Amino acid sequence: MKNFIFSFLALLLLPTYMMGQAQAIKGKVVDSSGMGVPGAIISASESRASADADFDGNFIINAKVGETLKISMLGFDSVSITATSIPMTITLKEAGDTSLKEVVVIGYGTRKKIDNTSAITSLKAEDVTRTKVLNASQAIQGKAAGVQVTSSDAPGSTPSVVIRGLGTALGGRNPLYIVDGMPTENINNINTNDITSYEILKDASSLAIYGTRAANGVIIITTKKGKGDKISVEVESFGGVRTPLKKVKMADANQYASYSNASLGTNRFSTNQPVNTNWFDEITRTGTYTQNNISISGASENVKYFFSAGNYQEKAILNGLDYSRTSFRNNNEFKLSKKVTLNQNFSFTSANSTPKPLSAFTNAYKQSPIVPVRFANGQYGAPFADASGVASPKGTSFNNVGNPVSQLDFYNEQQRSITLQGGLKLDYEILEGLKFTSQFNGEYYTWKNYNFEDSKNAWLAANPTRKDGDYSSTDPINLLTRGREQYFNWNLSNYLTYNKVFAKIHDVELTAGIETSVKGPREKLVITRKNVSPDSNYWSLYNAKDAKGVDYSGTVTNLQDIVFNESKLASYFGRFQYKLMDRYLVTGTIRRDGSSNFAKDYRWGTFPSVGLGWIMTKESFLSDVKGVNLIKFRGSWGKLGNQNVPLNSQSYNSGLNSYLGGSILYEGTSITSQIDPTLTWEITEESSAGVDFEFLDSRLKGSFDVYNKNTDNVILYVKPYPTSGITTASPSHVGEVSNKGYEISLRWDDKITEDLSYWVGGNFSHNKNELTSLKDVSLSQVVGGNLGNGQDTKLLYNNSVGQPLGSFYLYEYAGVDPANGNMLYYNAAGAKVTQDALSATADKKYVGSILPKANYGISLGLVYKNIDFSVDGYGTGGAKVYNGKKAQRFGGENIEASMTNDYWTPTNTTSSNPRPFNTVPVASTYYMESADFFRINNITVGYKLPLKGDQFISSCRIYLNAINPFITQKFSGFSPELNADGDPYKLQGVELDAYPTLRSFVIGANLKF
Amino acid sequence: MKKIYISIFVLSAFTFTGCADDYLDVKQTETISTDDTELFNNDSGAKSFVVSIYSKFLDWDMSSFGWVGLASITSDDADKGSTPSDTGTDKDVLDALTYNASNPSAESTFNANYDGINRCNQALAILPKLDKADPALRERLMGEAKFLRAFMYFTLVKCYGGVPIVDRISSIPLSAEDKAMQLTRKSTADVYAFIEKDLTEAAAVLPNKSQYAADEKAKASKGAAYALLAKVNLYQKKWQKVIDNCNLVTGYAISPDYAKMFRLEGENDGESIFEINGVGSVPARGIQGYSNTQGVRDAWGWGFNQPSQSLVNAYEVGDVRKNATIIFRGTTLYDGRVIPVISEDDPNPRYNFKAYSSAYTSAWETDANIKYLRYAEVLLMKAEALNELGQTSEAIPLLNIIRHRAGLGDTPATSQAAVRTAIWKERRVELAFEFDRFFDLVRTGQAKDAFAADKSAAFPNGKVFTVGKNELFPIPSSFLLVAEGMSSQNPGYN
Repeated sequence: MKNFIFSFLALLLLPTYMMGQAQAIKGKVVDSSGMGVPGAIISASESRASADADFDGNFIINAKVGETLKISMLGFDSVSITATSIPMTITLKEAGDTSLKEVVVIGYGTRKKIDNTSAITSLKAEDVTRTKVLNASQAIQGKAAGVQVTSSDAPGSTPSVVIRGLGTALGGRNPLYIVDGMPTENINNINTNDITSYEILKDASSLAIYGTRAANGVIIITTKKGKGDKISVEVESFGGVRTPLKKVKMADANQYASYSNASLGTNRFSTNQPVNTNWFDEITRTGTYTQNNISISGASENVKYFFSAGNYQEKAILNGLDYSRTSFRNNNEFKLSKKVTLNQNFSFTSANSTPKPLSAFTNAYKQSPIVPVRFANGQYGAPFADASGVASPKGTSFNNVGNPVSQLDFYNEQQRSITLQGGLKLDYEILEGLKFTSQFNGEYYTWKNYNFEDSKNAWLAANPTRKDGDYSSTDPINLLTRGREQYFNWNLSNYLTYNKVFAKIHDVELTAGIETSVKGPREKLVITRKNVSPDSNYWSLYNAKDAKGVDYSGTVTNLQDIVFNESKLASYFGRFQYKLMDRYLVTGTIRRDGSSNFAKDYRWGTFPSVGLGWIMTKESFLSDVKGVNLIKFRGSWGKLGNQNVPLNSQSYNSGLNSYLGGSILYEGTSITSQIDPTLTWEITEESSAGVDFEFLDSRLKGSFDVYNKNTDNVILYVKPYPTSGITTASPSHVGEVSNKGYEISLRWDDKITEDLSYWVGGNFSHNKNELTSLKDVSLSQVVGGNLGNGQDTKLLYNNSVGQPLGSFYLYEYAGVDPANGNMLYYNAAGAKVTQDALSATADKKYVGSILPKANYGISLGLVYKNIDFSVDGYGTGGAKVYNGKKAQRFGGENIEASMTNDYWTPTNTTSSNPRPFNTVPVASTYYMESADFFRINNITVGYKLPLKGDQFISSCRIYLNAINPFITQKFSGFSPELNADGDPYKLQGVELDAYPTLRSFVIGANLKF
Repeated sequence: MKKIYISIFVLSAFTFTGCADDYLDVKQTETISTDDTELFNNDSGAKSFVVSIYSKFLDWDMSSFGWVGLASITSDDADKGSTPSDTGTDKDVLDALTYNASNPSAESTFNANYDGINRCNQALAILPKLDKADPALRERLMGEAKFLRAFMYFTLVKCYGGVPIVDRISSIPLSAEDKAMQLTRKSTADVYAFIEKDLTEAAAVLPNKSQYAADEKAKASKGAAYALLAKVNLYQKKWQKVIDNCNLVTGYAISPDYAKMFRLEGENDGESIFEINGVGSVPARGIQGYSNTQGVRDAWGWGFNQPSQSLVNAYEVGDVRKNATIIFRGTTLYDGRVIPVISEDDPNPRYNFKAYSSAYTSAWETDANIKYLRYAEVLLMKAEALNELGQTSEAIPLLNIIRHRAGLGDTPATSQAAVRTAIWKERRVELAFEFDRFFDLVRTGQAKDAFAADKSAAFPNGKVFTVGKNELFPIPSSFLLVAEGMSSQNPGYN
C-alpha cells in the first residue's frame, strides 16, 4: 500500500522533473546491519523537496544531481550526502543517543522504553561482560539502582540478588530469571558472552504480568541473535590471575606461644619456636582463570543464526579447587512465511569441578603456627607439643583443630553437570496488528559426583601417635559416595498481542494469554560403598563370567533413591497498554495463577497492577525549551505473589530405623512436621513513582524512583512449640515486612572532541527493611547464624518486630573488666556482668542487620581514539557482619596478630582486649563489625587496533581488566561481602568457612572477522 | 487459517479452566501423604508407628551426649572427663552443678522427650483407625506406646518437675485449648498421676517378655510396665504399691555374671526388663555417638563421662562390679583390647565400661545398649519399700541376692536405718552408669552431702548442691520464651 502511495507521489512529482533540472533520485537507506530504515526522511533543501523511505528503506526524491541530500531518522545520526543519478545506498549510523528508540524486553513482549510506565533497568552486553566473572549477576553488581548483589568469588557459586529490599526471609528470596522465555532460578549455565540484554524488572507495573513469582523481582535475559548480511565471527579470549583482596594477619609462632601461655597460666609453649607456619599461605595458591569464546553469526533473508562456544577454566586460590565450564549455544530465527516467524534456541553447558571444603579457611585461621605442615618424619603436622613446648609427633594435643593441608589433601570429590536449555517460539501474524505467539521452553539438568574418603589414612593422619593396628577392624578402610541427580522443567505459553493506533492518537496494545510452568520431579540417587580399590579406575567393574556388573551390595553402607515433588503452575494473564497522543501512558495488567504447592482451596491468586506515565516534554509548552530533552513521570501500583514453598501437604516420615533385639531392622513411621493447611500465596503490594529525565542534549540522563513495598502475609519457616514434639520448621504466614526506599541514577555523557568522549555515572539506593508485625504469636522462634560452638547470632521472633530481617541478636559487649581482664557484658538492667551471669532470655538485644541500608555504584569512562578506559565501583552502607571465625577461639587456637600485642595483664589493665581465655565466648557485639565497604570493582583499559573494516580481521580490541583492585572496608576479616548460601538466617553476614573476595588481573582480546 | 488459530487459542483457554484444578493436583513423591494412611492399614504398618518411638531412643539428643551430661556427669559417679580445655559444650558446668537456664543439654533432653511423646500421641491417634490390622496387635501396640510415653514423662518429671502434659496431637492452626496444653506446666503430682494411668493401662494389655519373638525382645512388656510403675511409686514413696508392683514383675532372674550383662551376649538376657537396643552391623542403628563420646580418648573416643574417684571408693573389696563398670588405664579388656596408659594428652584414668562396644568400638552407632530396668533393681526397690515399712528382715535377703552375685558376702546391716543406707549404697554400685544415681541422690535426700564428698583434682572441696534449686534442672529458656508467662522457671534459675 505504502509503495503504491510512494509511486503515486512519484507520479505526481514527475511533471516537475520534466520541467527543470530536477530528476527522480533513487536510493535506499539502510542501517549498519544492512537492513532498510523505513520512515527515514530525505530532504533536498535546494530543490525544496522531501521524501520518506518506504518499508524497505527505498526512496525516490525529486532533486538535482550534485545537490546535498540530508537524511535523518530518529535514533540515527543525520547524514549529508551528494545526490547521484545512479541509485544510492545510504548507511545511517545509529545515534549514541538511542533512548527514544530503545526497546526493552517486558514480560511477553517488548516495548519502547519511552512508552513504558514501569521501572526497568536494562543492561546491555557490554555491561554484563566488562567484568570478567562467571555469572552475569555478579558482573552487574553496582550497575543498577535498587539491586543488591551479594556474591562470593568461590568458583561456581551463585550470587544472591535482592531487588528493592528483602520482602521475605525464607519462602524463596531470589528473583525469577527468565532466560529466552524459560523461567529458571540459576544462570550459572549461561555464558555471559552470549547475553545481549539483561533487564531487571523492579516495580509492580512491570512485574505483575509475572504475578506468581514476581515478588522478588524478575530478571529477563535475552541471548544473542544473528544480524547483518554476512557471516561474522567473533573471538574473545582472556586469562587472569587471582589473589585474595585482603588477608588477615595472624599471630606468628612465638606470639602464639606467649599468648597461649598467658591464657593457660603456664609455660606450656616455648617462646622460641622452630616452626612458623602460615596456614593461609599453605592452603592457597595464586588462582588463575581463562575464558575462550567463539561465536559465528549472520543473517540471510529468511534466517538469522548465531552459534557460540565458550570455555571457562579456573584454578581457584584454595589448593585443589578447580572449576571449568564449557558451553555451546545455537539461536536461530526462521522467517517461515511473511506472517510466521519461528525462533529456536538451544544451549548446552557442561560444568566440572573438584570442590574442597571451605572450612579449611577456618581451620587455617585457627590452627596454631607452631604446628608444621608435616613433621620431620613425614607425618602430617598435628597440634601436639612435647615437654619442651614445641610441636612434636610424640607430644600431647593442645587443640582440636585439624591440619588444613591434610584436610584438603584427603578431600577427594569431583562433580560434573550438564544443563540443556532450549525452546521454540512461533509468532504468527494473524492480521495486521494481531499476533499469536506460542512458546515452549525446556530445561534438562543432570549432575553426578563422587566423593572418596580415605578414612583409615585420614584417621592415622589426624593424630601422629596412632598406629596402623589401632584402627578398628570393623571401620571402613575407605568410603566411596556417588551421587546422581536430574530433572526436567518446562514451560508453555500461548498469547495474543494486538496493536493498533486509532484516530492517530490512541495507541493501544493488548496482550492476553495462558501459561503453564512445570518443575518436574528431581531425581536423586546416592550410593556409598566401603573398602573400594584405592585406584579410581577400578571402582566399577564388570564381571565377564556372569556378563553383568560386579555385585557390590555387600559393601553398600548407604543408599538413597529420592524423587522430589514436582510443582506446577497454571496461569492466565492479560495486559492493556495505552498511549494517548504519544505522551499519556496507561498500563494495566492482571494475572491469575494456580500453584500446585498449596492445598486445593488456597491455590489460586490474582495479581493486578496499574501504571501511569506522562511524557511531559512532549507537551507543547516544553517542546521548545532548550536543554530539556526528556521528562517523564511514572507511577504504579500492583500486587505480586510468591509461592516458593515446598508442597504443602501433611506427610509421614518413613524409614528403616530401629532394631528391637535380633537382626531385623524395623520400619518406623511418624509425622515430623506440622503443616498449616491454610498456607497460600505470599502477597506483596507495591506502590512506586518515578521520574526519568534527560537534559542538555541528552548528555545528562537520570531517573529517580521511590517505592513502598509491603508484604503482609510473609511466609517464614517456623518451629512449633518444643512441647509439640515437632522439631521440623514449616512454612507459615506469620508477619508483615515492609521495604521502603528510593533510587537515584545519573549519568553524564559528553564528547569533547571527535576523538575524546567520556561518561560519568552513578547510582544510589536506599532501602529500609522492617519486620512491621508478626501476626501469629503461636509460632516459635527462628534462631540462626549458628557458629557451631553452641552460640547463635540471629533471631527472628515476636520481639523482632520493628527490626530489619537478618538482624543479629547478641549480648552487648561492655569492655574488659580492669580488675581481672574478663569480658563484660551489659545485662538488661544495664549492669556490667560476666557471661556466666547473663540471662539467656532477657539480656540479648537486636544490634543491627546483615542487610545494607544503602547500596551505591559509580561508573566512569572515556574513549580517546582507539583507547577506552573505564572504572566501576560499588559500595554498601549500614550492614553488620559477625566475625564468626574469630569467635571460634576457646582454647589452643591461633589468634590475630593484633590481639597478641595488647591484651589485659595485671600490668596492662586498660587494654581493650580481654585476658586470654579458654572458654567459648557468648555471641556478643565484641565480634560484630560494620560491613560498610567501597570497592573498585573493575578498571578496564582497552585498545582497538587501527584496522580497516575490509581486512580479514575487521576489529581487534586488546584489554586489561583489574577486578576488585581496591577496597576500603571497616571489617577486620577477609571480606565484608558474605553470601554463604544466601539465607539471611544462616551464615549470610557471618564470616565462618567463607571464601575470601579476590583481586584479579586479566588480559584479553576480542577479535571480529 | 487465522480463525483456526483463534479458536484453538480460545478452546485451550477453556479446557485449561475446566481441568486446571485437577491439573494442579500433583502426586507427591518425596513423602507419603497423610491422605494415604490406608497404606499403613495392616500389621506391619501399624507396628511402624510404634517402632518410630523406640527409634527416638537411639537419637543423639535423646540418649547420648546431652543426656549423659545431664543424668550422669552431674552425678557424683562421674566427672566430665576428656581434656580440661574440652568443655563438650556444657559438660564442665554440668559437672560443677553451675548450669543456667539456657543449658544446651537440659534443653535438648527436654525437647527430645517431647519429640518421643509426640510419636506416642501419633501412634495412639492413628492405631485405632487401622482397622485392617490385627485387633490384638493394635491393642498391644497401644500398650507399648503408653508405656513409652510414661517412660518419657518419668524422665521429664525427674529432671524438671511438673511439665506440660501433652496427651494428644493437635491440628493446625492450634486451638486455644491445645496451645494451653502445650505451654502450661502441670504439677508434679499431676504428671505422676498421668504416668501411673498410662502404665496401668499398658500393663493390662502388654504381653510378657517371653511372649515376644527373639527379634522383639527389646519391646515393652508387662514386666516392664510393672517395674516402671514400681519405680514411679518409689519416687513418690508409695511403699506398699512399690512392693505390690514389684511382685507383679515375674519371669525374670538375676543373671549369674554381672560383667557379661553389659556385653553383646548379655543383650536382653533373663535379668533385663527394658533396654535400648543398638546394633552396630551394617546398616548400623545404635545410640548415636553413645560409645564414641564416652570412649577412650585418642584411642577411639572423646573420653567424656569419666567414672569418679568417689565411685571407685564406693566399691567394697572384691566387688566384681567395679571392673565390670569401669575401664581402668593400662588394663586388658575381656576381648583382648589393651587400654593405653595415661598420658598428658589423655588424662582420664577411667572410662565407662557399660558404653563400650567390643565389635564396633569407634563407630558412631554401635551395639552398646542402655539397660534402663533390670530385675536387680526390682529386688532393690522391693527391699527398700519393705524396709521403709518396717519389714527390714524381709528386705535383707533381697539385698543379699544382689551382693552375692557381685562376689560379696551378706550385708552386715541389720537396723532399719543401716539397711536403708546399705540399700542406697547397693543401688549406687549396682546401677552405676545406668542413669539412676543423680535422681536417686535427690530422691533420697543424700545429694548435698554426697556432692560435698565428691572430691577430685578439679574439685578439691567437692561440689555445691544447692538445696531448693539443684533438685531440678532448669526448664529450657527457649520454652519459657514461647510460653510467655503461661509457665514459669524452676526455683533458683533465672
